[in-house]
Amino acid sequence: MTPTRSGVAIALALGVSLPSMVAAQERSDFNFAVDNLWPNMDPVIGISTTGGRVHSNVFETLIQRNYFEDPDGNTLIPGLATDWERTSETVWTLTIREGVEFHNGDPMTAHDVAFSLSAERLWGEDPIAPRGASFAAGLVRVEAIDDYTVELETEFPDASFIARLTTPIGFVLPRDYYEEVGTEEFGQNPIGTGQYQVVEFDPSTRLVAEAYDNYWGSDPLFDSITWSVVSEYSTRYAGLVSGEFDMIVSIPVDQFDVVEQTDDIDLLVGQVGNYPMFAFNTLDIDGMDDNPIMDADLRKAMVMAIDMDGIARALWDDLTYTPTPFNFPEYGDYHDPDREATYGYDPERAAEYLEQSGYDGETLRWHVVRGFFPNYETAAEFMVEEWAEMGIDVEIRIMDNFALAYERPFHLLNMSMSSEFTGDPYRPLWLDWGPGSNRVEASHRTWVPTEDFLEAGQRFARAQEFEDRYAAYRELLAAWEDVTPALYLWRNVQSFAMRDGISFDPGSTQVTVFDDRYVTLHD
Amino acid sequence: MARIVTLKILRAVITLLIAVSLVFFFIRLSGDPALALAPPDAPPAVVEEYRTRLGLDQPLLTQYLRYIGGMFQGDFGYSIHTGRSAQSLFFERLPATLLLGLTALAIALGLGVTLGLIAALRHNSIIDRFVMGFSVFAFAMPNFFFGLLVVLSGALFFGVFFGGSGATRSFGQLLAPAATLGLAAMGSFARFTRSSLLETLNKPFMTALAVRGVPPRRRLLRHAIPNAAIPVVTMLGLSLGGIVAGAVVTEQVFSWPGIGRLLIRSVETRDIAVLQFIVLMVALTMTVTNLLVDLVYVILDPRMRGGQNG
Repeated sequence: MTPTRSGVAIALALGVSLPSMVAAQERSDFNFAVDNLWPNMDPVIGISTTGGRVHSNVFETLIQRNYFEDPDGNTLIPGLATDWERTSETVWTLTIREGVEFHNGDPMTAHDVAFSLSAERLWGEDPIAPRGASFAAGLVRVEAIDDYTVELETEFPDASFIARLTTPIGFVLPRDYYEEVGTEEFGQNPIGTGQYQVVEFDPSTRLVAEAYDNYWGSDPLFDSITWSVVSEYSTRYAGLVSGEFDMIVSIPVDQFDVVEQTDDIDLLVGQVGNYPMFAFNTLDIDGMDDNPIMDADLRKAMVMAIDMDGIARALWDDLTYTPTPFNFPEYGDYHDPDREATYGYDPERAAEYLEQSGYDGETLRWHVVRGFFPNYETAAEFMVEEWAEMGIDVEIRIMDNFALAYERPFHLLNMSMSSEFTGDPYRPLWLDWGPGSNRVEASHRTWVPTEDFLEAGQRFARAQEFEDRYAAYRELLAAWEDVTPALYLWRNVQSFAMRDGISFDPGSTQVTVFDDRYVTLHD
Repeated sequence: MARIVTLKILRAVITLLIAVSLVFFFIRLSGDPALALAPPDAPPAVVEEYRTRLGLDQPLLTQYLRYIGGMFQGDFGYSIHTGRSAQSLFFERLPATLLLGLTALAIALGLGVTLGLIAALRHNSIIDRFVMGFSVFAFAMPNFFFGLLVVLSGALFFGVFFGGSGATRSFGQLLAPAATLGLAAMGSFARFTRSSLLETLNKPFMTALAVRGVPPRRRLLRHAIPNAAIPVVTMLGLSLGGIVAGAVVTEQVFSWPGIGRLLIRSVETRDIAVLQFIVLMVALTMTVTNLLVDLVYVILDPRMRGGQNG
């Protein structure tokens, strides 16, 4: 398509540059079929895998992780903050990008940043978005110094705090609009600074976002993006084959071959920083006075009895693997590919530990939520057989939802842990297992951290230099393994199928961003 | 007569109340709704916030009485996720489901009755056997499986996507899910029409008409078909339940944005107010249909007025 002569004349008269007009005219619509959409698009209230597929196209974080050049995203790059500097031991000073506007035309300033990170919204008493509290832990002051400068003060010197601004709390929301419409309305009609503005949102059918022409950065690739909710996989696949959708998500493992063999369709399978696991219930609360799994020797015997990596590779056809505890590739210098687990697969040691435990053949209940994690139930069946051979009796109880799974008595409880956070083990090891975490506080809590764990954790959180932090991390890990309160099954796998002409690679994140850094269009 | 009608209306209201109460208590029995509502990794503070917002921190009886009380004032609650009233979400989806359901019913009735008539008129022929074989297939085929076959065949063999937005962008996008939804009812209509027409054709009054020299065409159109239609009309009322139940599955398979999908979504996300309202409306539809059928019987059949069947 080319611009008409009169169109060119009008464009020239209005001072519109020809290339941008051509680009705008040639842009196509992009239809992405997803299995679900989170019902609230506030990027903190709606923290979720399904929300993350939308958020970064509508909102932008102050700082971003560079997944397009480094699949593990270990480099930080400017987003809505152009610069950040540690101006004292506990204060970070951010320079906010000028010339950015929200989709309602309001300019984005430091006051919006201060509101987005405020105590009122995230970390104070009774905040608007309480899910942000753990992400903002340690913040004690957020202040707009002028229109384009913000100061963040932390409780104690925290060298890595700045990386938290790459997480959902780093998204900048429009203060005036948010306060005018309120939390629920904002969740339905969100406004950000991103390349696309939301024009239609019905959580059970679709979200449509159109290119925002006054976007401060590079031109959007598409005229509009539609996230169509199609919960049935076969329907998503049919829509892709027939050209209705440009891309679909969540292809079942047993369908990979079919998709690969389909003409004009490309399959993308990649590992992401998310780990299905089970927690041992190490507590005697809620009537579980004689809980045999309180015995650490039994837990270690169970972990060592399982060839987890073998099961993971077999079930996933070598697409993923089982990392040793908290030794994840997305953690840059913390990752050691040669490190072995203290209690890795070793049937002989497992038998010894079982012998010295007080286990007396009691049936152990494993609560598993139906169909929540691909391959989980199958893996569980393998594991139950391996335990049975050793004389450990585990019964899988399939539950319809998490609320039912959380009801005791249970000895093992399924869940998954995300490690996408600050590019180090801070979240998965300390935030997710430390004081204040769900593992310790929630109704379905499963352990009490030991003195060693708490002491190492405090040192880890406060360490300034990498060497000190790394040493504390290893001690924290040793304290965790000494208890062995869980087993991580494998690094999760995500899959996309897309039509010819579109190349997309998100790296190891579950967040999808459809800009020219992650998407390439070709004929 | 007035007493019978009053009794029947009273019975319908009690049925509705029981349906609403069952849903209210069963939702709360299948796990703590606040926990089910919140994301799996939500901290206790978030779960507590959901509990307070939903009033789940109140005693069960208080919650129940508050719900029933609100219901009589037209307050059916709000979606916990979107903040919109349960009614507005329901009525927004109603046109899509009505379009799908009525088209399905029209297909089922039109094709089913036609096939049944042809089978009856060609009794014991190959056509008759084929039609009856087809009707058994239609009745027995699970609609989720048939729907997937339709969607996949359309895409793989014809490059057409039958799933859809619910807007009638193409005839196929309405026809495919409607035919899938109406398939089972179509089979039933064909069988009922056939047996009813055969029975009527074999009645003595048809022989009498033939002896009196009434032409075959007139015998069929003026006498046989109207008499054979009575059980088919009854079937029409009964098939409504199947269409409503089938719409839930069909809408899911074809990604049709109607009430069925809203229902599944509400169950998945424990959107209690929306779920309760949908069940109430489905129960209301079924109850009112039954009530109307009962009342029509009373009007048509004097024997029913005695009250012994009421």
